[in-house]
Amino acid sequence: MRKFCLIFVPGILLGILLIWGAGKAIEATSTDKYCSSCHVHPQANISWKRSVHYDTGSGTHTHCVECHLPPKGEGYLVQKIRTGLHDVYAHWFKDSADFNWDAKSKLENAVHHTFDLSCNKCHANLFPIQLTKKGSDAHLYYVSQTEKGIDIQCINCHLDAGHYDPNYTHEANIGFGVASSLPEEIFNEPAMVEEFISFKETIPNSSVSFKMLTIHGGKFMLGSPEDELFRDDDEGPSTEVGVSSFFLGEIEVSWNEYMAFYAQTAGEGRSSDTEGVRKNTANVDAIVGATPPYGQPDQGWGKGQRPAISISYHAAETYCKWLSQVTGKTYRLPTEAEWEYAARGNTQGAYFFEVDPKKVMKKGLFSSKPDTTTINTYVVYRENSSLKTQESDFVQANPFGLKNMLGNVAEFCSDWYTVDAYKQLSTSALNPKGPSSGEEHVIKGGSYRSSAAQVRIANRDYTKTTDWLRTDPQIPKSIWWYSNCFHVGFRVVCEFNEKTGNN
Amino acid sequence: MKNKPSLSRRSFLGRAATAGAIGVVSPALIHSCAPSKDIKDVKYDLCSFLDQAPDGPELKAGLIGCGGRGTGAAQNFLDAGPNLKIIALADVIPDKLNAAKKKLKENKNNEVPDENCFIGFDAYEKLLALDLDVVLIATPPHFRPIHFEAAVQARKHVFMEKPVAVDPQGAVSIMGTAKKAEGLGLSVVAGTQRRHQRNYVETYKNIAGGMIGELTGGNVYWNGGKLWHRNPNTQWNEMEYMIRNWVNWIWLSGDHIVEQHVHNLDVAHWFFGAHPVKALGFGSRQRRVTGDQYDNFSIDFVFEDGRHLHSMCRQINGCNGGVYERLQGQNGSTNAKDIINGLNGETLWEYPYELDEEGKHKGFLSPYVQEHVDLVNAIRTDTPINEGENVAKSTMLAIMGRISAYTGKETTWDEMMNTDLKLGPKVYAMGNVDVDKAVPIPGEAWKPK
Repeated sequence: MRKFCLIFVPGILLGILLIWGAGKAIEATSTDKYCSSCHVHPQANISWKRSVHYDTGSGTHTHCVECHLPPKGEGYLVQKIRTGLHDVYAHWFKDSADFNWDAKSKLENAVHHTFDLSCNKCHANLFPIQLTKKGSDAHLYYVSQTEKGIDIQCINCHLDAGHYDPNYTHEANIGFGVASSLPEEIFNEPAMVEEFISFKETIPNSSVSFKMLTIHGGKFMLGSPEDELFRDDDEGPSTEVGVSSFFLGEIEVSWNEYMAFYAQTAGEGRSSDTEGVRKNTANVDAIVGATPPYGQPDQGWGKGQRPAISISYHAAETYCKWLSQVTGKTYRLPTEAEWEYAARGNTQGAYFFEVDPKKVMKKGLFSSKPDTTTINTYVVYRENSSLKTQESDFVQANPFGLKNMLGNVAEFCSDWYTVDAYKQLSTSALNPKGPSSGEEHVIKGGSYRSSAAQVRIANRDYTKTTDWLRTDPQIPKSIWWYSNCFHVGFRVVCEFNEKTGNN
Repeated sequence: MKNKPSLSRRSFLGRAATAGAIGVVSPALIHSCAPSKDIKDVKYDLCSFLDQAPDGPELKAGLIGCGGRGTGAAQNFLDAGPNLKIIALADVIPDKLNAAKKKLKENKNNEVPDENCFIGFDAYEKLLALDLDVVLIATPPHFRPIHFEAAVQARKHVFMEKPVAVDPQGAVSIMGTAKKAEGLGLSVVAGTQRRHQRNYVETYKNIAGGMIGELTGGNVYWNGGKLWHRNPNTQWNEMEYMIRNWVNWIWLSGDHIVEQHVHNLDVAHWFFGAHPVKALGFGSRQRRVTGDQYDNFSIDFVFEDGRHLHSMCRQINGCNGGVYERLQGQNGSTNAKDIINGLNGETLWEYPYELDEEGKHKGFLSPYVQEHVDLVNAIRTDTPINEGENVAKSTMLAIMGRISAYTGKETTWDEMMNTDLKLGPKVYAMGNVDVDKAVPIPGEAWKPK
């Protein structure tokens, strides 16, 4: 009995002490002060204090953990331990000066650090009596989508609710593209092309020009060999195909180029035609372009020579149609074969530059730091992009003179995507165009958010239309702007044909 | 980042449908994570089965819309239990208001003071400024969204007649306002009275309990004769004429598929536990005398998982008629009202009507009174009920069918939820009415080339 007491009583006391201590520790590590002792980036604290969650009408403040952890009893502790471990690791093994706080505050990252459950915990009534009509419509949309199991979160629309951002736009961006650019030379005529040499296209009635480079046709091995590192099954079998000569844009279609299209064709907002017969429908042959976007399609990263993003496949196709019309040539999206032929520039490896694939990627915790010197010279990708698009001359060109084939933004191709597309190819096929029908289109080349594995030439991906329109509150959803895709753009092909002097 | 094996629209839809079904089981899913103490749980089983509402402090009600149904609803309200009073009336047309005032006095000995009688398009605002507990809304459906919103903003419990809107914007507005009412713990009852009709409710319980398995499809009908109409009169300006003749104008009634047939569509919506998401249908105008509406519709509705619901409605004299529902299940069928049959026609269940000495059905409390009993019971026992969203969705369903018939095009629920379509004039005033009065014609005319 004595022995029992000797072991048992201190045991219980120790247990109580531990539980009490853990409780105290949880409390102590959940204060705003504790959070900001590590999260020293100034914008976190200041922007929080300027947000509606601090500067409230009622005088209460919403604290860090109330948004950045789930509610107590609904995963609070698990998430606290997870973020805690992550923070401890970052604190000891990383240099906070390297953190890209700007990128981390973007929606793409922010959704991982705020919890809808927590929003709903306080905002239990999504329909307060003073809610505006627009607010009511938006919350009805949220409720109906959430009930369907579609991932749409409060901060998809209320990104600035916890951390104030003066540039955040949460409305139809009617003024988009209206502000005129600096007075510059206005081109009256498109470029005249009579032979197969690279040329500078000039968009009539605009100050915009861009370079189109000659790609001399030939045969090459499409796809990757089975032993290529990081290879996916859809990249093979590696098959010899041929492409004819064509012109290809030196850079991905830039905002400057796209805005020329937008300025000359933009539609005037949405119209409802569900009551059809009661409205006059005029038939017009003119190309009707994109409607004003919602929010900022450039994500606030700037336009100019950065590639145009957030634009739909349909918008890209319409752009090509319009460009063909105003220049009298035949512009279109590249086929997958054309794209890869151009990207390879007569090389046959994983990249068009010399690099050991084994060394570009860090694999596992203890492998040596990846060697990124060469890849940084040619590709805008996850490790050097600050998680946003860059201007076209951020990198050097490939052997054909093309920039950003492998990074910056991924690019639409005209082929339908299937996993086994290359299996269907006949050897030495000339100008293959891919499967005759499908649901989503091929996209090639990595983007600012890709890993080194994903910026390999042979890497394939495809459009994800439903997902990329996930938070578009309009129905029918916009056919012009993706609400949830900022990493894809496109490059134009100009056909070498009778219109460009090839008789 | 890549997710190649899942590139199949079908599998995606399958998952979405499953998630949708779960959503239906738990409509308050997203709120349920944190049932705040400020928000009352709202009951969705509407019928109390009480013959009389319990007694309690006097409930004062106001009536907005003093036509035949409004006057009827006011009397049904007074019949629902002890200590109930109509103390205010509002309408745009004086003789309608006076007739209602007189009827309430004669039939129910309910005196409405003159100073609480309001005339005009803003009469509802004056009525809502009074010290009221309940508002009964029975104006032409075009005005329902405005009146409902104002009533909830004024924190009143609401009875409102069906349909609750004539256009998609109106139906969406009702859905939002219903949610606001829910947040305030107000009760909202709608005039889709089958949900308060005891034989329907008992049948529903058996179907929901799985007596014939899952429902696989159905047909709903409101085929009847011509409804009433008014001819223009030199003493009436156009607005007054249209309002007096409201069941013949699209912008006021929503057309008869919305105004009348919504009852049967609501039964399907209720029994299926979901609403169709697509409609393709047709209709036409053969014998209607006034206004701009059709007088027949036939619509094929499709649910998210592919099940079909057919709907038929007509208002033409001298044709065969019938107002009923027929719902098919895996193991039988039901008329939704009082009988459930097996696959071979055998009776699985019948509503146990009480019989009198002559062996005839004795009947039960009229659903038109029952719905007010249920409303007053909810208020006095502080257990809110709210059928605003149900009736808004049933109304939207009817609107979706109508627009398909008008345009000849397939319409979808998502389009309906997001179109900016709104009917009616920009301002409400006596005088000429600035609306398109052409009868809708679907499709395109053939043009010689």
